[in-house]
Amino acid sequence: MSPNDVFDLLILTLLIGCALAIARLKDLAAAVVLFSIYSFSLCLLWVHRGAPDVAMTEAAVGAGITAVLFFYALTRTGRREK
Amino acid sequence: MRSALALVLVVVLAALMMAGVSQLPPPGEADQAVHRHVAANYLADGVEEGGTGNRVTAVLLDYRALDTYGEVVVIFAALIAVLLVRSAGGPRTQPPPRRVPVSPVVDQVIRLMTPFIALFALFMIIEGHVLPGGGFQGGVVLGALMILLSLALGPDRLRGALHTGALFWLRAVAPLAFTVSALAGLGLVGWWFALPEPGWMREFALVLLELAIGFGGAAALTGFFLSLEEDIHR
Repeated sequence: MSPNDVFDLLILTLLIGCALAIARLKDLAAAVVLFSIYSFSLCLLWVHRGAPDVAMTEAAVGAGITAVLFFYALTRTGRREK
Repeated sequence: MRSALALVLVVVLAALMMAGVSQLPPPGEADQAVHRHVAANYLADGVEEGGTGNRVTAVLLDYRALDTYGEVVVIFAALIAVLLVRSAGGPRTQPPPRRVPVSPVVDQVIRLMTPFIALFALFMIIEGHVLPGGGFQGGVVLGALMILLSLALGPDRLRGALHTGALFWLRAVAPLAFTVSALAGLGLVGWWFALPEPGWMREFALVLLELAIGFGGAAALTGFFLSLEEDIHR
């Protein structure tokens, strides 16, 4: 296994871990932060695979505006899942 | 029972997707169908024909301009749908939900970061035809900045600061710019979305298109947000 594959595997493990944690967490603010981490990991994967344009879209949309909108929604509701 | 059914569905779906993925060619293999069709022409002539060294921009704004046109029209159509649904709702009777105040730390950090985020967004939009990124990414960052400012300053101050008449037209600027580009290409060069002839004119047209996508996208996102926010308060 080349170092490139090891990097990809690390990122993919992080992605799956984040996804499972987001589904299980009751603290919604923490879930949004994890969602941002998920998007940034995916962004790293795109850069590593040679797609910087897709990576910038992922960072701007996935980690940027989606997280901002989720946080805005949280200021209107509650932080805990019921 | 329901969770067992869901599990079966997930497993079947995962198996189908795995079967599909396992049939994909290994990445970077040169003799696959996707690399033998038009990709070689894009790589060979993209810099000459596209007006920029960035071939991704050449594909997005020149070779596949019709697809990008469709994308900006989709965003515009979504904005119109939001505005229509909002205006059809009528006044609400229940009181608006309690607003949690933003912590002073978050407030100060947003104020401190605003010029840097704005500068980065502008840089992405203006240099987008040369570097990775571009109008769409820069526009999303600019739209996110507007929503952050609305968090820190309050939506009413943001609404006051943005001239609403200008915002109204800016939301439609991306589809309009692409329409003009399509017609100008047909009239001046001879086919839809053709870029004008000398190299500097091409680059100028690309910058204008990226500016339209960026500011149009940012205005559309801000418009979405402000109209939904207003709806909460009605």
